Amino acid sequence: MNALKPSKAAIKNITHETGDVRTYEFYVGDALSADPAPGQFNMIGCPGVGEAPVSFSGLLKDGSIRHTIKAVGMVTDFIGRMETGDEVFLRGPYGRGWPLEQARGMDLLLGAGGVGLAPLRPVIEKIVRERDAFGRVLLLYGARDERRLLFLKEYEAWQDFLSLHITVDELAAGAASKYSTGLITTLLDRTELNAERTVAFICGPEIMMRLFCRGLLLKGANASRLYVLLERRMRCGIAQCGHCQHGGLFVCRDGPVFSYNEVSGFADGLL
Amino acid sequence: MKKPRLGFFKYSCCAGCEFQTFYFQKHLMETLSSFEIVFARMISSGGTPEGPFDIALVEGAITEAWQADELKKIRKRSAVLFAIGACAVNGGIPAIKANRPEIEVEENVYGDLSAIHSIRPHPVDAYVPVDGHIRGCPPGERDLYEALTSALFRKKPDFLRQSVCIECKLKGNVCVLVTFRMPCMGPVTNAGCGALCPSYNRACYSCFGAMKQANAPALARRFRTLGMSGDDIARKFTMFDADSIEFRKAAELYED
Amino acid sequence: MSGSGMTGGPVFQLSEYLISKKSFLQWTDSLMEGFTIIGPAWDGRQTVFREVGSSAELTLNYVTTMLAPGKLHIYRPKEKLFRFSLSGRQEIGELPAFNGKQIIVGVHPCDTNAILYLDRTFLGEFKDPFYEARRNNTIIISLNCTDVAPDCFCRSMGTGPFLNADSGFDMLLTDFGDDFLVEVKTERVNRLFNVSGARRAGNEEFALKAAKEKSALLKFTKTIDIAGLDSLLRDNPEHPVWGQTSDERCLSCSNCVMVCPTCFCYDVVDEISMDMKTAVRHRQLDACQDRKFAEVHGGNFRARRAARLRQFVTHKLDHTRQYGVFGTVGCGRCITWCPTGIDLTEIAKEIQRTKR
Ligand SMILES: Cc1cc2nc3c(=O)[nH]c(=O)nc-3n(C[C@H](O)[C@H](O)[C@H](O)COP(=O)(O)OP(=O)(O)OC[C@H]3O[C@@H](n4cnc5c(N)ncnc54)[C@H](O)[C@@H]3O)c2cc1C
Ligand code: SF4
Ligand code: SF4
Ligand code: SF4
Ligand code: SF4
Ligand code: FES
Repeated sequence: MNALKPSKAAIKNITHETGDVRTYEFYVGDALSADPAPGQFNMIGCPGVGEAPVSFSGLLKDGSIRHTIKAVGMVTDFIGRMETGDEVFLRGPYGRGWPLEQARGMDLLLGAGGVGLAPLRPVIEKIVRERDAFGRVLLLYGARDERRLLFLKEYEAWQDFLSLHITVDELAAGAASKYSTGLITTLLDRTELNAERTVAFICGPEIMMRLFCRGLLLKGANASRLYVLLERRMRCGIAQCGHCQHGGLFVCRDGPVFSYNEVSGFADGLL
Repeated sequence: MKKPRLGFFKYSCCAGCEFQTFYFQKHLMETLSSFEIVFARMISSGGTPEGPFDIALVEGAITEAWQADELKKIRKRSAVLFAIGACAVNGGIPAIKANRPEIEVEENVYGDLSAIHSIRPHPVDAYVPVDGHIRGCPPGERDLYEALTSALFRKKPDFLRQSVCIECKLKGNVCVLVTFRMPCMGPVTNAGCGALCPSYNRACYSCFGAMKQANAPALARRFRTLGMSGDDIARKFTMFDADSIEFRKAAELYED
Repeated sequence: MSGSGMTGGPVFQLSEYLISKKSFLQWTDSLMEGFTIIGPAWDGRQTVFREVGSSAELTLNYVTTMLAPGKLHIYRPKEKLFRFSLSGRQEIGELPAFNGKQIIVGVHPCDTNAILYLDRTFLGEFKDPFYEARRNNTIIISLNCTDVAPDCFCRSMGTGPFLNADSGFDMLLTDFGDDFLVEVKTERVNRLFNVSGARRAGNEEFALKAAKEKSALLKFTKTIDIAGLDSLLRDNPEHPVWGQTSDERCLSCSNCVMVCPTCFCYDVVDEISMDMKTAVRHRQLDACQDRKFAEVHGGNFRARRAARLRQFVTHKLDHTRQYGVFGTVGCGRCITWCPTGIDLTEIAKEIQRTKR
């Protein structure tokens, strides 16, 4: 069996999230090698174009999965022009996801920046299914502006299960916002939490994750309970092509989710 | 499927890119049959430059003001536009004069300057945004093919961005710089030619232009240790890509 | 170091013989019917590992080659992975893996260890079928080094000049002048090795082998002290040697990576046929010295040339946590073929001298 061999998956549904971000529901049938865990990713590709790593943004349901993809380059642009019924080739799931087991019985803080909310969405689905397994659950979400917020329609339903706080970096001129403004770290500063019992899952630009983690450490959080999802260039997803190497680790296999103390202080990283 | 409409435009250059594309390259027949050639001076008469174009290929450096004006119009009428060939990509041979005052060059070449309206030579992307560069003199087969198939497949092209040395090693060539002490420009030159010159025991002279962020000064200093004169080194870095930041830094070390 | 085990089988040390070089070469000729024979041979400009038509072409007294046998003939520089048909409904087609049989003869200890290193990448948790097929169907005949090139530092790495790996190759030769000492390591080569004129080697021959190893060890001019190196490089990411070397000399040309026998990195590239009917996905060697290697949307984790040089050197002389061994086998190729002669052992020494 060739691990690099992808299988076909058809687009069942497309949701427009923001300008260049869309959420796709793919019918995968039995194409995946395992039931994907939150935080894992697929390599999604199109013949003749290439492949790109993309996190799951939804749990497996009736043979379908979700991916939320921002069109930024060769593969993602190509997929960005596809329509319902079109097919991609994908393979996975790959990598080590969010350590939900560790969060059981603890307070769970989710920190997301921009499209970084996508890989956390399956965690939220798990929380909705098993709310009692966790203590207090908080979601802090920051985006550049209101138009860039993902999953708008779902916030209301989520709020029955977790406490959601949204901040935008800037307001459109003259607009009144229902969200607070400022960086997500400011939001974190204002948030009360029981740092000792908190497990945090953080996903966003690396600089945001750095500041977020430092903020949490200052509040007394334990570095081994802060988890970040690293983005690196990936060509294989199976610890062979070498692109994702970071301080001797393969982000695709040893991550992409790492605890803060596993990867902080590495050369070539911002954490 | 409707054939994509292709336009080929020529500014200051030898027209070799157009000949390469329509007469010599490996995938000639497929090119001619896959595209509707709407405008190309070297193969058809009476074509129209009005557009619109699905793909525009522009060869030549911009050395006169009217060229820049026309180029901007073509950009507006074209879905994708590629600079093709050393002149359009890097300034190429016409840019040899890039580092001297324009009037001095004009006086040098022409007796009567009344009909001459040249401007400082620049590559195409100095005037309009391009969707990619098909490098080389003549343009490399691989990137030309990538540009054409990408236009047909409606995907972004994936042009080579690495050094010539990588291609040279993939071919298993013995390195002419290390082994024969020839001043090879391969380490700082963008790939795409398949390491043509080193494959024939010749030093690369960088007709594909500078690899982005290349450390040209370090190679220039290496050439010095081979016993080359400062003038010769400066010429190496001003032949095809005199206008690039990378090569300027090297040439400046040895220009007087 | 435990290799793949596939080629080893349960018995690894079988028998030892002394055999004239002439008989050995005749034996390789006799194998040409069932095997492709690959070995060091002159190509007009240099010695390369290539297929030979007769043992007369072999230049077993070579010192080093520019490209390593393992990265040419087991892991290939470029490999077709899949063929997609694009007309109508898109389909994926697998391409056949290697189904021949080949023998690589004259693989130096460093290059043998490099193959064992590549096994860790391609025969780990995820097995690469192309690599695996070629690895399983390649008999490796290694050859101890009695000559040492100026850039060789295998002695310091424990990977040469005499091979002491405990599996993963089939036969080991030591140059005894007119004869070879032949150590048969695996059953599959034992079955092939029925040579008249071979006599059993004993204590005397092994004493001579030990003496030859000792004299080879004395020939090294390049050494490196690997004690504590692993964390030392990692703990000095901003040592001035990185910036200085990369500003003054490194060209980001990737020659170092391309000639390195353990550099495994690849890129995956699709190519469409112009009639839009098929696309071929292949992989080809990629290099971390290249600017785009660690680039992501909106950033590049190794935008600085110094960071890229540091990635190469630390992957060779640090980061043993990856596979439990160092990434360099001491073959010295990256030093020899670097256009500006950048020497990873000198970089390490500079840090050892002036560490913080
Ligand atoms: C574990 C992981 C999970 C991810 N999850 C998501 C997700 O859920 N949604 C989403 O929209 N994106 C996600 N990404 C990012 C996404 O993989 C890249 O944006 C994508 O690979 C770009 O591919 P492309 O072919 O479209 O762009 P290219 O044409 O290859 O490149 C466009 C730009 O992106 C850079 N790039 C190339 N490959 C990568 C790469 N592997 N990662 C990042 N940048 C790259 C290029 O250098 C260039 O600057 C994830 C990345 C990783 C590593
Ligand atoms: S011959 Fe030139 S292009 Fe080839 S490896 Fe040497 S320096 Fe690079
Ligand atoms: S071969 Fe030398 S100059 Fe080229 S990238 Fe490697 S270290 Fe730098
Ligand atoms: S040194 Fe660079 S190219 Fe070589 S294996 Fe390591 S990361 Fe890959
Ligand atoms: S590095 Fe060692 S094993 Fe390799 S060629 Fe040199 S002496 Fe032989
Ligand atoms: S993506 Fe290829 S090694 Fe991690």
